[in-house]
Amino acid sequence: MKKLLLAVFPTILLLVAPASAHRLDEYLEATILSIQSDRVEGSLRLVPGVAVSSAVIASIDANGNGTLPEPEQQRYALRVLADLSLSIDRQPLKPRLVSADFPSVEEMREGIGEIHISFIADLPRGGADRRLTYENHHQSQLAAYLVNCLVPSDKNIRITGQNRNENQSFYQLDFVDADRSGGDPPAQAPLFSSLSGFAGAFRLGMRHISEGTDHLMFLLALLLPAPLLARGCRWGRSATTFDSLRHILGIVTAFSVGHSLTLALAASGIVHVPSRPIEVLIAVSILLSALHAIRPMFPGREAAIAASFGLIHGLAFATAVSGLGFGGWYRLISLLGFNLGIEAMQIMVVTVTMPSFLLLSRTPAYSLLRVGGALFAALAATGWIVERLLNVRSALDSLVERAAHHGPEIAGTLFLLSSVSWWLRTSPASRSRCHRRVDEAHDQDQLPDALPVISGD
Amino acid sequence: MNGFSLNSGVRLVLVLWLCLLSSSFRSVLAETATARIVRTADAFLSSLDPKQKQAVLYSFNDDKQRANWSNFPVAMAPRGGVSLKEMNSAQRSAAMALLASALSREGFEKIQQIMESDEVNKLTDRGPGGGNGGPPPGANESTTPRFGDRRGRPPLGDNPIFGKDLYYISILGTPSETNPWMLQFGGHHLALNLTIAGQRGVLTPTLTGAQPALYTLGGKTVRPLGQESDKALALLNALDDTQRKQAILSYHLADLVLGPGQDGKTIQPEGLKASSMNDQQRAMLLDLISEWSGIIHESAADARMAELKKDLNETWFAWSGPATADPGKNIAAYYRIQGPHLVIEYAPQRLGGDPSMHVHTMYRDPTNDYGRSLITK
Repeated sequence: MKKLLLAVFPTILLLVAPASAHRLDEYLEATILSIQSDRVEGSLRLVPGVAVSSAVIASIDANGNGTLPEPEQQRYALRVLADLSLSIDRQPLKPRLVSADFPSVEEMREGIGEIHISFIADLPRGGADRRLTYENHHQSQLAAYLVNCLVPSDKNIRITGQNRNENQSFYQLDFVDADRSGGDPPAQAPLFSSLSGFAGAFRLGMRHISEGTDHLMFLLALLLPAPLLARGCRWGRSATTFDSLRHILGIVTAFSVGHSLTLALAASGIVHVPSRPIEVLIAVSILLSALHAIRPMFPGREAAIAASFGLIHGLAFATAVSGLGFGGWYRLISLLGFNLGIEAMQIMVVTVTMPSFLLLSRTPAYSLLRVGGALFAALAATGWIVERLLNVRSALDSLVERAAHHGPEIAGTLFLLSSVSWWLRTSPASRSRCHRRVDEAHDQDQLPDALPVISGD
Repeated sequence: MNGFSLNSGVRLVLVLWLCLLSSSFRSVLAETATARIVRTADAFLSSLDPKQKQAVLYSFNDDKQRANWSNFPVAMAPRGGVSLKEMNSAQRSAAMALLASALSREGFEKIQQIMESDEVNKLTDRGPGGGNGGPPPGANESTTPRFGDRRGRPPLGDNPIFGKDLYYISILGTPSETNPWMLQFGGHHLALNLTIAGQRGVLTPTLTGAQPALYTLGGKTVRPLGQESDKALALLNALDDTQRKQAILSYHLADLVLGPGQDGKTIQPEGLKASSMNDQQRAMLLDLISEWSGIIHESAADARMAELKKDLNETWFAWSGPATADPGKNIAAYYRIQGPHLVIEYAPQRLGGDPSMHVHTMYRDPTNDYGRSLITK
């Protein structure tokens, strides 16, 4: 479809473009992009021609007083950024404004004034083969677009292709990030040993979980109520430590079995599912497990749910592995490495967070963490669903990313807080308070409720 | 057949020894290029009055002046230094002698043709019949809007914005055979940045341009950047279909990518790599490059050409726009030559109506603009 569009677009353009256009009535918009492993930087040089400069100035000068104070400059720069669309591997990116420099109004009227706008966007982790697309729709009636990419300073990044439409409003950059594939670009894949391929895939698997916020969030949301027992349609007292551990182990194992199965099927090419609906379903799975953490929806059947949602997550993992571009038996080795990497990272996350969950679940403060965490996950999941369905970028998403960046600190603080509250709770006074609260909760459970009671004690 | 006698052996040694002796004498007696440029620079500086001299001289570390060049007319983008217009005739010929000593004969001629082009621009700017120059019939320059057209706004005082005397000369540092220094010369459509460090000379970044790119002077048709256009088109025509497919880009380029202000950037190269050209095509490419690398005086040009030859396999040629040109006129297409130590861009400007009549070109070495690699050592 995109190919067809690319082929048709220049033809349309030829029909629309005026017969004798000259720079006087053009707005030169030159972009130079710079790719790094974790981010893309862009610098825009905007030069309005003499005949269009007053129109451009008027569009910046909101109050029409002939000057361009900083707030007006800032607003214009943000408007320019809003007219760009930037994405990596079909995932939209939100460029952030870094700086905006404006020439004098007089220089712009002469047709020699250059507006410089620079922006930055973080690149989420992905496979080794990546595709960046950049579109500029700013002042498309006047614009003469240029787009180029600097030779990457990072030696691990190799640009493999550039595509543009005729007027350069659309730009597509293909590159290989050797660092992501575990050391070497796929072109050299047959040369390096299966052992290093395995290690690379293992690392990729670990990274995929540690940085794939959505997979982590699903797992954590599902584990939030694991130390508790459902009492009707509410979460009641905590289960015994043994039962809690059994729950946790059951959930994690079921999730692993589920995603291993579909990962193997999809990676070997037996099953093929488009990635977009999968991404939406993953967000839905987070929403459901978050809601379950607030009110039990499928108590006692968490393992079954984890296994079935694991099937969906496995399909998403498969797209990450397909980015490795390996073939044949080599693929099987890397697949194994990738899956074990995922398991290892999952075990690490569970080992780090579960003691806190277990400790805290023995205190009344746990409901705070459970409901708070679940609400956060539910909000993020809703954001992802909207974003992935409509292909837009929500503000929530960056919030989640930022929170995920501080994962170790959050886990550490959580452990500290839970240790303190558990220690406080062991004093007799707080224990009796706790029992009262549980009794109250029990009383409330006798009241009729809108939610269907799935299972009792 | 006497074979190799002792007598002829002695004679051979004698001849070789004489050759060696004469060449070493030549190098002792002949003035080096740098010595020649320093001599003409000193002569120029001593012709100036103290005020002019102060205006011409900048500190070698003045990076602001170093980057103070443009394709725009000087009235719009003021240059540093002193213009030919502000000099008396003795000073002007000293300035031109300095330029002639720093450039090759072809390079100096090219620069003069670019300046003459701006003179034609100025004369035609005043309306038809304004001077002896002017574009030949068919160029149709004056009916189309042009850059610098004030569009009913007040004129820029008495100062015309075009003309062959509106070119500025400046010197960064002190002319020296050992310490690095820099000579700049430029105005509308021209920016020469020559860094001299010992016997080495570096002319990157340099901008050349012309509007009109075709004019008559004294009954002769002049195209200041005609070779740049013709040699490139000849190279394109020498490519086979597969090569052309690689060389011709599928998109339009409205302007220079690495023009003024874009120092130190290396963009991802595109087009056809010279490693997939045959020997004849490679020779044509080098000959095309020499239109820029050969502007500087011969010994520096030779050193530069040797470097570019070494890079040839990693050098790219890319073309965008019409693959034909009207006979006797410049191309209306953009092209770029890029290698590890080279960026050349040829960008026709739509401004002025006929893009073949208005050209900007850029010549860079992203690894050694302003002779950076010579100076930091």
